[in-house]
Amino acid sequence: MAWLMKSKLMLNFISVALSLFTTILIVVLLLLIIGKNPVEIFSLVLSEIFGSGYGIGQVLFKATPLIICGCGIAVCFHASLFNIGAEGQLNAGSFAIALSAYYFGFLPFPILIICCTLAGFIVSGIFGLIPALIKIKKDVSEVITTIMLNFIILALINYFLVEFFAVKATMRTEKINDDDFLFKLSDYIPFFQGSSVNASFFIALAISVIFYLLIYKTTFGYKLRAVGFNQTASKYIGINTGKILLLSFFIGAGITSLVGLNYIFGYKGYYELGFSNNLGFTAIAVSLLAKNNPIGIILSSLLFAILDYGGLSVNQLVPKEIMLLIQGIIILSLLSIDKAVKIYFERKGMA
Amino acid sequence: MKAIEFNEITKSFGDFYANSGITFSINKNDVHCILGENGAGKTTLMNILYGIHKPDSGKLLINGSEVHFNSPLDAISHKIGMVHQHFMLIEDFSVLENVILGNEISEFDVIDFKKSREIINALIKKYRLNLNIECKISDLNISQQQKVEILKLLYRNSDILIFDEPTSVLSPVEIHEFFKIVDEFKSEGKTVIFITHKLKEVMEISDKVTVLSRGKVTFEKRTKDEGLDLSELSRAITGKEETHSDPENIKNDTEGEVVLTMKDICLFKDKLPKLKDFEIRLSRGEIYGVCGVEGNGQNEIADLIMGFENNYSGELIRLTKKVSIIPEDRNKKGMIKEYSIGENFVLKFKRNRYVSDNQVRKISEDVSQNFDVRLSSVDSDLDSLSGGNQQKVIFARELTADNDIIILMHPTRGVDINASGFIHKKILEERNKMKAILLISSDLDELIKLSDRLGVIYNGKIVKEFDKSELNRNYAEGQFSEKNPKNKFDIYEKIGMYMIGLADEE
Repeated sequence: MAWLMKSKLMLNFISVALSLFTTILIVVLLLLIIGKNPVEIFSLVLSEIFGSGYGIGQVLFKATPLIICGCGIAVCFHASLFNIGAEGQLNAGSFAIALSAYYFGFLPFPILIICCTLAGFIVSGIFGLIPALIKIKKDVSEVITTIMLNFIILALINYFLVEFFAVKATMRTEKINDDDFLFKLSDYIPFFQGSSVNASFFIALAISVIFYLLIYKTTFGYKLRAVGFNQTASKYIGINTGKILLLSFFIGAGITSLVGLNYIFGYKGYYELGFSNNLGFTAIAVSLLAKNNPIGIILSSLLFAILDYGGLSVNQLVPKEIMLLIQGIIILSLLSIDKAVKIYFERKGMA
Repeated sequence: MKAIEFNEITKSFGDFYANSGITFSINKNDVHCILGENGAGKTTLMNILYGIHKPDSGKLLINGSEVHFNSPLDAISHKIGMVHQHFMLIEDFSVLENVILGNEISEFDVIDFKKSREIINALIKKYRLNLNIECKISDLNISQQQKVEILKLLYRNSDILIFDEPTSVLSPVEIHEFFKIVDEFKSEGKTVIFITHKLKEVMEISDKVTVLSRGKVTFEKRTKDEGLDLSELSRAITGKEETHSDPENIKNDTEGEVVLTMKDICLFKDKLPKLKDFEIRLSRGEIYGVCGVEGNGQNEIADLIMGFENNYSGELIRLTKKVSIIPEDRNKKGMIKEYSIGENFVLKFKRNRYVSDNQVRKISEDVSQNFDVRLSSVDSDLDSLSGGNQQKVIFARELTADNDIIILMHPTRGVDINASGFIHKKILEERNKMKAILLISSDLDELIKLSDRLGVIYNGKIVKEFDKSELNRNYAEGQFSEKNPKNKFDIYEKIGMYMIGLADEE
């Protein structure tokens, strides 16, 4: 497997590099067509981001939820499950985190954050179990059920928030205690002055380490990937495939809820409708680009964060949607180039 | 006249040389058998001939002129046709549609079905294939599907026909029929290339034999003209006499406890009856052979015992739920081919825990030593191993689970003589450890050699049971020798008749 990993890793690296290159080419072309100077725009993006500690801090801040949610989606991907429901799942979990953080605010901070994490994880996880159960029992594709569940979950949250929990005249929950916030990196490193990056960035890194160990280094992870490779064979080998599918959906969905830690404990202090801003979908792209590999997820999250923040910084020159455009082109070119690279090397008899 | 000449053909995959400098020729109008262990390079060579792979170096000559194939289409245009081990048929299409697919007779882009029908029906009649061209492929059995594949080649007017292990899925009677068709080809001047593991068939049908070993030609001889005999052939392949790979089958006499009883089992799938009043009793320390043409309910029996199938009526009593299985289809059901040996073993671990790389490697090393699995690296994934080695790994994995019931489905299909001798020895060892073994196979040699009792299954029912003494007597008397070939033929023929439902139920 290590030999395989090496050659597969190399193939992946080649296709990712090629698709990034293609993307840059296309974007340069587009900028030229609309009469902008690509050099000017790219240098502006780079100077805005890397010219100050604030820029770097903001990139890390924006990368944090992408890493967490990307890991969650990758768990499902490894079991060959296409979880498009992360957007709904993470909203449900974050809502639960915000509510428990407010109503159990009397608890000491370490206990509080553990309880909130568990609450979020379980709520998101349960919403992950629904498509898994329907898939196991009735063989309905999880792609369809998770998409539909997104609408259901968001509508439910909307109702409960507005009817019972929202602060008057707003679409948000009550704010948590001021001393229950996670520390900001700028508290210790003045370099990051003014940026919102906080301790949950380390939580995200920890999640990716746990993700790696769970998927690649435990019996459970081996079984999960085996089910992803070949469900029939897994069944005959004696793996309880239904249980593995349920667990991977539960864990995968559960992890996505933890993006709430960044927003609630690290940033705003409350849950707000629309806070996720399609994070659950962007994270699918992150995970795809990373080939579900934990280090790849960190790198591609950083890339997407750069694009996101870069979009804001060039807004006066070109519409910030250019960065969405880039995200889209990356995924399209990756998917097509990936196949081409694989076929090319298979012909050469390498893979 | 030479139909095909291989001249210094070399093909490597990474560091591995599948074919290195292969040179031999195939005469026109010969039945030419290509033999060799798994991984010897037979399939690669055929894939080169059929345009699937390009050789790294070397020349390929068809009818005396050099060719360069870029795809199977080029091979087909040179009148080369191939029947793959796994059939390439579209299940939902009829026989007619499958045969004309890609070569439709059409006028203004409208398919002329009438004309196609006439042509195909004429072919069916001429070769006595006995097929209904309106039948859907999914309604045909394996032997009929094979005939459809043959029909495809005939329809395309192929002159050089390649068959990759065509007889491994057929019953004795069907093999007989198949050989008749091959004879017909020969009388028409066609050239037939035949890949197989069954030496007796080689002796019966071939004009010339080429043996490959580790990517090289190691033996070549004309069968009848140069007086090749069976022991010489088996020596050429294994370097040993064939009898050496035959383990002794001595059963200890203790009656084992009955661990599995199936009684009056009826099972429907997609509204079709798969098992009807099926009955079987399996005890510790015995090998029960289930013999039959594929698709007569064998898979359903295995799934029932494994507990995958719950919609049945009748009585099923298992004393243990710990059942090991070697499924009939390695690739689809037997292993995770993206994983290494050790990683496949990890899947058997009961408790969830941390697994280190060293632990995985240790298992791979142990298995490759104890079960003689040849590896290029301990981390190699199973996909890079030959079929025989893959089968040994699956075997090793299932045996280490130490379960009381072991289901073996075609355990030596597509496996070379050395590996299958090894596997047979292991099966007997497990039996002597008082395991209850259900051996499902269509290879009569294997079944008669190993089984303590043998049931013939036809249409989801055991239609006839033979006990050890009957098998023993017949096997001992019939054993190969020219001394008494008649007896052997008797029991084979008898079982064969039950397998295809021609014998009366008793």
